[in-house]
Formats: sequence, C-alpha cells, structure tokens
Amino acid sequence: MDLSDAVLDRLRHVAALPDLAGTRYELESEIGRGGMGVVYAARDRDLDRRVALKVLDVPLAGEAQLIARLEHPAIVPIYETGTLADGRVFYAMKLVAGAPLDRFRAGSPALAERLRVIRRVGEALAFAHARGAIHRDLKPQNVMVGEFGEVYVMDWGVDAVAGTPAFRAPDAQLDQRSDIYALGALLQFLLPAAAPPALRAIAAKGMNADPAARYPDVPALLADIERFQEGAAVEAWSEPLWHQLRRFGSRNAVLLWLLVAYAAVKFLLFFLRTL
Amino acid sequence: MEPDTAIGGPHNRFPSTHLSLIEAAAAGLPNDALDRVIALYWKPVYKFIRFKFRKDNEDAKDLTQGFFTTALQRDFFARFDPSKASFRTYLRMAVERFAANEHAAANRLKRGGDARFEPIEEQAATTGSPEEVFEREWERQLFALALDDLRAHCDASGKQLHFRIFEAYDLADAHRPSYADLAARHGIPETSITNHLAWARRTLRQLVADRLRGVTSGERELREEMRRVWI
Repeated sequence: MDLSDAVLDRLRHVAALPDLAGTRYELESEIGRGGMGVVYAARDRDLDRRVALKVLDVPLAGEAQLIARLEHPAIVPIYETGTLADGRVFYAMKLVAGAPLDRFRAGSPALAERLRVIRRVGEALAFAHARGAIHRDLKPQNVMVGEFGEVYVMDWGVDAVAGTPAFRAPDAQLDQRSDIYALGALLQFLLPAAAPPALRAIAAKGMNADPAARYPDVPALLADIERFQEGAAVEAWSEPLWHQLRRFGSRNAVLLWLLVAYAAVKFLLFFLRTL
Repeated sequence: MEPDTAIGGPHNRFPSTHLSLIEAAAAGLPNDALDRVIALYWKPVYKFIRFKFRKDNEDAKDLTQGFFTTALQRDFFARFDPSKASFRTYLRMAVERFAANEHAAANRLKRGGDARFEPIEEQAATTGSPEEVFEREWERQLFALALDDLRAHCDASGKQLHFRIFEAYDLADAHRPSYADLAARHGIPETSITNHLAWARRTLRQLVADRLRGVTSGERELREEMRRVWI
C-alpha cells in the first residue's frame, strides 16, 4: 500500500489519539508532551468541568497510587486514574491555569518572589518524601505558577527512566537525593544573573554530583534559603571575612548607627571639654 | 525514473505478536528476525542508497540486496548494542558504511576513478537529507505493513465493514466523506461510524506497536520508537 505524505501524517496522528470510549471524558486538545506521555485538555461530561488528561505510554509504577493520594496545596490533585480501551493508562487531574516556570522566569520576577516559588516546590517535595514518594522528573516545565501566585508541582514520576538531562541527577538509582539535585538545579535555573553567591552555593550544594555531599533532605535545603533571607550565614558557603562583616553590618545597621552616633556625641563632648 | 521496486520481503509470514530482536536472537531465530527487519527496512534502505549515493534503480536494488545478504552472513544482530543507539540508527549507519565501501570499490574499477552519477529527477522534488528520506520511508513502510496487518485482521475476524469505513475516512487523500455520508452509504447510525473508526485506529495502533516490537531490542527502545512515530 503506497501512502502519501498527507495520509501517513494523518495516520500517525489519529492512531496516537487516546480512545476515550467508555470513559466520562471528551477530548478537546493537546496541551503538552513530555517524556512519559501526552497531556490533553478534556471535558468531564459527568461533572461538566474541564480537566487535564495525561495519557501515559509507560506502565504505572507501584507508587503511582501513593502519588495519587498526596494531598498538598502545591501538588496538582489527581481526580482519577484508569486504563483506556487501547490499553494506555491515564490520569485525570485539575487543569491548572498559569505559566510554567520557564515562562514565569521570563517575566523577570523579584528575587524574593523567585525564592517563594522554590520554597513552595520544596515544601511539596518534602511532603511527598515524608510519605515515601519521589518526583523523579522535576524541571521547569513541571512547575506551574498560577494566576493567583499559587505554585503547583506536576507530573510526579512514574518511570525511573524519565528525567530531563539538565535537571536529572547523575545517580544510578533515583531516590530522594535525586529530587534534591533537581531542586538545586531548579534554584539555579531561577536565580538571576546577579544572584548573591550564597544562593549560588545553595544551588551548587543541592546539585553536588556526590549524593552524600548534597543536603541530607529537602527541609535542610529550604532552611539554608531561609537563613539567607534572614541575613544569617548559610551552611553551603564559607563566606570570606569581608563578606561576613558586610552581612553583619547590614543585619545590625540600626545598632551600628547608634554606636556611631554615640561615639560622635562622646567625641564632641570631649572636644568641647578641652576648649 | 522507474517505479520503486516491489521487493520488500514477505508481508504475511509473521506471528501477530512479535518477539523483540533480542528475544529472537536468544531463541535462535536470527533468520526470522532478519525477515522482519527486511520487511520494514528494504524500502527505506533502497531509498537511502539512491539518494545518498545517487545510484540508479538497479544499482540501488543490488546494493540493498547486497547489504541484507551481508548482514545475514555477518552476525549482524549479535553486534547490535541497544545501549549505544536504536536499531534503526544502527542499521542506517551500517548501510552507509556498506554502501560507501561498495561505492568506493566500484569507482576504483573505473579508469581514473571518475564516478558516474546517475541523475535522479526525484531528488529535485524531494526535500530533506538522505537521512530524513530514510526516516520518512521507514515511517511509511511501518504504517503500510501495519495497514496490511489491519486489513488481514479485519478479513479474518469478519470486520470488513470496519476496514471499509476506516479506508474511506482515514485513508482518503482528498474529499474525506462526512460521518453522515458514511452512515448513509452503509446504512448504519453515525455513532457506529464513530465506534468503527475508533476500533480501527486502536487496532492500527496495536499493530504498529507489534511491528515495532519485532525490530527493537526491548520495551525501552520500543517506547522511544513509538514516541517518534506518533504526532
């Protein structure tokens, strides 16, 4: 059978569309494509609402059900999982309106806002880790910042072979430390060009090639970011003396000004007395 | 230019569920594996040789035949390492080496080594590199084989109407009929047209996967090839 280019492309397209017969969903459009499958916008006929339907081309891993049960404000809720007539597995999830992290960064947000987003992502990771789940494929495209500033971490890993090179740890076996690596990479991705060295050091420690040299857990990385925001020394960076003094100065500016004023008054009184 | 050759290996000799290449080799069935590879790759290899080395129809046929004969003799499958490249890439690179050597040898025989290139009018009308032509022909042949499988499956299971509806709708090059037209033509409700088409597409997808399974090293490569195929 000789197939024209047009027919070939049509077959490549129609044979890939998920067969939603027997489900409550109607296909609307494709909204994304990732390492493990395709995400479509669909309509849930029963509840008359739009959902995101992720159709996987890999089998579900054992922890998928665990991930589906994670309830956290920064984790996209999964409404339902199932198997299509064509054998593929799908997730129906909340359809999030917002911008993925790469688009968020393109809007040049303030440093504090960037750090707020990273901390929200970290909180979601820490929550999942505490329940035995790991993400496996954390990257900018899997973090959405909603129109009200809400942060969602999506596409919780279902496949150990997943992972995006720039954000994937060089670990032979992916575990929680691999997620810490990805969180460090995400922090580095979000930092502006003129970011403080302490923040760069936090990202670098998170991304250490040796898992044992990374932060022991996500809360430890978040605590270091918090220290930076409070003006304290961060664990990841041995700062030079002049930097310590400058940081001390900026943390204790009022006290220093008072001391300077006190010294000035004392000097003035001493000067007046000698006249 | 002469039409493409009809040689392409047997189409209906394969079991419905193919073993992967690795499984086939382990089971001592390299010839069976080669048959599957030839069915899918003969045309892409032939086209690749024509465009890459600007061979005429007969020379390209001979080189293609020569490549597969050599592959059969040289333990081609045992040297395939899935960790380095997909089988598709491995085979294309092997073809390139083989055809380049043959091309060079043929030129040495000619006095002064001046190569004589056949003008290929088709090249002017074809966009893309020889490698892209190879990939495109590979996709075309993959679907052509899966469509043969689908037709045979429909005939064997009494679903000829499913295939006719699918053929009229999804294989139409132009003037695609509406669901209402098809329903009226076959005297069935429009919902049945939807269901018949969904069944045919779903089955085609499975048959494409089955064809791919027979020419890949395992589940991981199969998944990667499937991702390339769907758009």
